[in-house]
Amino acid sequence: MYSSLEYSVVDISKQQSVLESIERLLHLAGLELDPRLSVFVIAIVDSKIVACAGIDRDIIKCVAIDPDYRGNNINLGLLEYTIKYANEHGQFHLFLYTKPENKIFFRSCGFYPIVEVPDLVVLMENTPIGIKRYCQQLSLEKKPGNKIGSIVMNANPFTKGHQYLAETAAAECDWLHIFVVNEDASMFSFADRFELVKAGVSHLKNVSVHASSSYIISKATFPSYFLKEQAKIDKAYMGIDLLIFRNYIAPALNITCRFVGTEPTSEVTNAYNEAMAYWLQDSQVSSMPVIPLIVLERIKENNFAISASRVRALLENQCYDEIKALVPPTTWTYLQNKYM
Amino acid sequence: MKIQKEALAGTLESSDLMVKVSPNSGIEIIVNSEVNKQFGAQIRSVVESTLAQLNVTDGLIVIDDKGALDCAIKARVQCAVLRGAEVEELDWSKLL
Repeated sequence: MYSSLEYSVVDISKQQSVLESIERLLHLAGLELDPRLSVFVIAIVDSKIVACAGIDRDIIKCVAIDPDYRGNNINLGLLEYTIKYANEHGQFHLFLYTKPENKIFFRSCGFYPIVEVPDLVVLMENTPIGIKRYCQQLSLEKKPGNKIGSIVMNANPFTKGHQYLAETAAAECDWLHIFVVNEDASMFSFADRFELVKAGVSHLKNVSVHASSSYIISKATFPSYFLKEQAKIDKAYMGIDLLIFRNYIAPALNITCRFVGTEPTSEVTNAYNEAMAYWLQDSQVSSMPVIPLIVLERIKENNFAISASRVRALLENQCYDEIKALVPPTTWTYLQNKYM
Repeated sequence: MKIQKEALAGTLESSDLMVKVSPNSGIEIIVNSEVNKQFGAQIRSVVESTLAQLNVTDGLIVIDDKGALDCAIKARVQCAVLRGAEVEELDWSKLL
């Protein structure tokens, strides 16, 4: 046994020696340090760090304990301390990433599994009704029809490409649900992006525009810490996101298909498109119905595929005239007022 | 009394429980317990009577129980509710 046990919160970007101890702990548990994490709750026994849990806003990950100190309820105390630390910082709805084999332990800490990528990762939340309640809210927006389409877009900013995708999808479906990624991690704020999407599809009568939630492509939900190969990391992260969509969001709105544009430039987005084809359409990975993915060729302007990243680049270089051809009038007016 | 904000009381230790409360319309109680099969109904009834004593009308109450005794359940629920309802002045007679 041990003589003294205490918990404390550290910022590893400021404390090099602590960082090394944490890396050692994670290594023992077969995990890797997530570079986005800086705040850790640590357990100290006789002035030695024996367990750690990383916390990034509302997400707990990189939880590890020294094998020599297991079986002493240290992890339970660690989690409790972490939950209370998050609460003190205004975060009550917490998410947690772990390996599937640790699910039972975290279940005993008040965390409930949402979705699991077999053998790789499970995403849990600290309420038994979080996603259920979100889907209940969402299902109030349900529309009648046999073919209900969906698009998830960041629209940073909304271009003619997004508009084309929305118009084509809306024409093929009885109703179309558009989710706008709800994170302020992009050049344009969520509030502005949301308004531009709404303005850009206002002429379509069978479209609803929703703000996405923590459950659809949210920031920091990247469980890279325990997966050594880049390919596996992407697979796990995207699998979580897409399984939530297939298992919860799509049933709540009776969504029957998802639309996406081809991705000629961004490697990450292209990988995500490929992941969609797998996680939404494979009949083995989920017990929920398959959601066919409909890939639309991007429209071009002067032989360049229209993309939001191109608009941002042009904006940066103040090539305003070229932008005008790439965005709908609603976005153009907004950009004019804001930047020109 | 209504739950105005999210609040927490208790621990995850054995023989204790963690109580999470948050705003809700109407009362909703979710009990999770290691001894749910034997004592789930009993735990729920203690929570219900504690809430009734405090005149709580609205709130979501989530219990993660580790085999706590009734007196511990009552005390933790009272504590979480009073934190979540932002009660400044206590009516001690209601806490008995």
